[in-house]
Amino acid sequence: MSQFTQQVILGLLLGGIYVAVALGFSLVWGVLNIVNLAHGALIMVGSYITWTLFARLHVDPFLSLPLDAIALFVIGYALQRGIINRVIRAPLLFTFLLTFGLNLVIVSLLLLLFTADFRSVTTTYSGAGLHLGSVVIPYIRLGGLLVALVLAGILWLILNRTRIGAGILAVGADRDAAQLVGIDLRHLYALTFAIGAAFAGVAGGIISTFQSITPTAGDPYTLQSFAVVILGGLGRVSATIVGGLAFGLIEVLGQSAPGLGSGYANAIAFVVLVLVLIVRPRGLLGRLA
Amino acid sequence: MPPVVERLYSKEVVRRERFALIVGAAALLLTACGTSNNAGTSPSTGAPIVFGAAVSLTGAQSKEGGLTKQGYDMWLDWINQRGGIVVNNVKHPVQIKYEDDQSEANLSATLVQKLITDEKAQFILGPYGSAATATDAIVAEKDGIPMVEGNGAAQAIFNKGYKYTFGVLSPANKYLTGVLDMAATLSPKPATLAMLTANDNFSVEVAKAVEEYAPTKGIQVVFSKQYPAAAPDVSGLLSQAKAMNPDIVMNSGHLAEAIAINKAAKQLGVNAKIFAYSVGPSTPDFISALGPDANYVYDGSQWTPQVKYQPSFYLSVSDYVKAYQQKFGASAPPDYHVAESTAACLAFEKAIENAGSLDPGKVRDALAGLNVMTFFGQIKFDNRGINIYKPMVVEQIQNGVHYTVYPAAVANGKPLYPTPAWSTR
Repeated sequence: MSQFTQQVILGLLLGGIYVAVALGFSLVWGVLNIVNLAHGALIMVGSYITWTLFARLHVDPFLSLPLDAIALFVIGYALQRGIINRVIRAPLLFTFLLTFGLNLVIVSLLLLLFTADFRSVTTTYSGAGLHLGSVVIPYIRLGGLLVALVLAGILWLILNRTRIGAGILAVGADRDAAQLVGIDLRHLYALTFAIGAAFAGVAGGIISTFQSITPTAGDPYTLQSFAVVILGGLGRVSATIVGGLAFGLIEVLGQSAPGLGSGYANAIAFVVLVLVLIVRPRGLLGRLA
Repeated sequence: MPPVVERLYSKEVVRRERFALIVGAAALLLTACGTSNNAGTSPSTGAPIVFGAAVSLTGAQSKEGGLTKQGYDMWLDWINQRGGIVVNNVKHPVQIKYEDDQSEANLSATLVQKLITDEKAQFILGPYGSAATATDAIVAEKDGIPMVEGNGAAQAIFNKGYKYTFGVLSPANKYLTGVLDMAATLSPKPATLAMLTANDNFSVEVAKAVEEYAPTKGIQVVFSKQYPAAAPDVSGLLSQAKAMNPDIVMNSGHLAEAIAINKAAKQLGVNAKIFAYSVGPSTPDFISALGPDANYVYDGSQWTPQVKYQPSFYLSVSDYVKAYQQKFGASAPPDYHVAESTAACLAFEKAIENAGSLDPGKVRDALAGLNVMTFFGQIKFDNRGINIYKPMVVEQIQNGVHYTVYPAAVANGKPLYPTPAWSTR
């Protein structure tokens, strides 16, 4: 039983990472209709900022998260304003191509700057955890989950309690109508992408604490984000939380599924994904129209 | 340069296949005339020998691919400083043409084909990794071009009856069995083992060999599960293994997973007496990423900078380490990926010399009969083309430094055993 509890806890903690990773991806997809294939690369930029500050100046990884957010916000704004805005009304394939290209460029820049060496942030408290009987909750992982939930809360507040958020939602609903009522589309697009990038940066900071990072280590997270958004549903913060936690749980429990090789954990997760698509094509929580 | 040879060289259009024959004939002619080819005359310079290599310079394996290229370049510099490979008293300088397979095994074979047909590569140096090597081996076989590789240890490559692919490294099934041999000598002797395995060919082979070998050493395998290769998080599996309370925790996987497993072991308080990972701990990255947490970890290694082999040619082990640090401005010694890649070049050098020809078939035969001692250890191939004659060594990280701890004959340290609990470190 305690073994099962432990697995569930680890699944939720992993799910927390997926929530953090997918929030920005979901926002950009939902509002800008861009499936951002450079999302994983932006995550790694955040990872490297956290790692650099930790390795050179001994800044605690959790303290550097706001810096990740600010840096990625600026980068994200510039990318959207300067580059992606140019194809925003083109067919989906063009944004795919463009973000795929951006991914290659960013990964190559990271390779030049940081080489392909494996890095990781290992703090003095990296092994500490809450011991409840035989169940362990590692603090670092718990911190990651909490940060993810805080991020989700911030995004909800931005979307529902600020003028910018109202603008973002308006553009997501109908961009021509939004433009008619005086919303500066180019600025708002850039702002939305910047927020998405900032969240990716924070997720990257968290990731650097529990796994090793390389310039290409972000690629799987683009795929995971995609799965999380499909699973939960597009365009709502709560859907991303549900999707992320569910995906983490499925992956970890899939590893211990009796009768099946744990090597199929990914396959199990994606089979569930396909089932959800068949049964609830708009995701577990549905999609805002 | 003697006039006969000079005249032949002026015909630049000579086809490559014929070229070796003509040089050979010229040398014979010279010998017959009694003009030259005696000791004391320096060899003349021939056309460059072109090697091709498709290595991962970008993508997920760019780290290991880069190390592979470093290994090749180490030899390239050395051999060209000496004027090249001597074939029948003619020195042929060496070129290596590189292609980047972007860490895609499927792309690798296409690039090797391109190297052979477009870039006119006469010989192929292997790519990084078993998957890419397996696809390249098909091209080498089809075109009858010898390939020597130092980075594909899966036996699946060598069980297909290929005649043109040779691996200088120990096969996958030897990777972690050395750790079991060592474990059997320790006191108190570990009795149980948990195995976490990535589900790629190479890792599964390593794990299978361990599971078959452990019982013969009185060690019981109490947990064995696979995870998808390159999984960023394996803490769920590790917590299952922890419930079995194993004396030995082994991982057959890759550097990224080794780091993740070691981190998760600390977070979850998994206290084994031995942590041993197939790939990863031998690289400087493992220590820099984990800091003091990297201590006590064991790995099976193809080669370490501490081994005491007495080579018959090329550099000694210590000179190799020095030359590497000088060439690449590195403070750390080269890891085994670099050494095994250099060793692949050395096998080619000796085989071409022994063949006395650049004919691919003759060089292949010379490779099959090769038996030399290098800084990397003995290079000799079994009838499948893999080097089963060189042993694996066991390394342990002690205070942030690699020590070779087994077998005792080549070791420069003793195993620190048992590994202390995480809470007491």
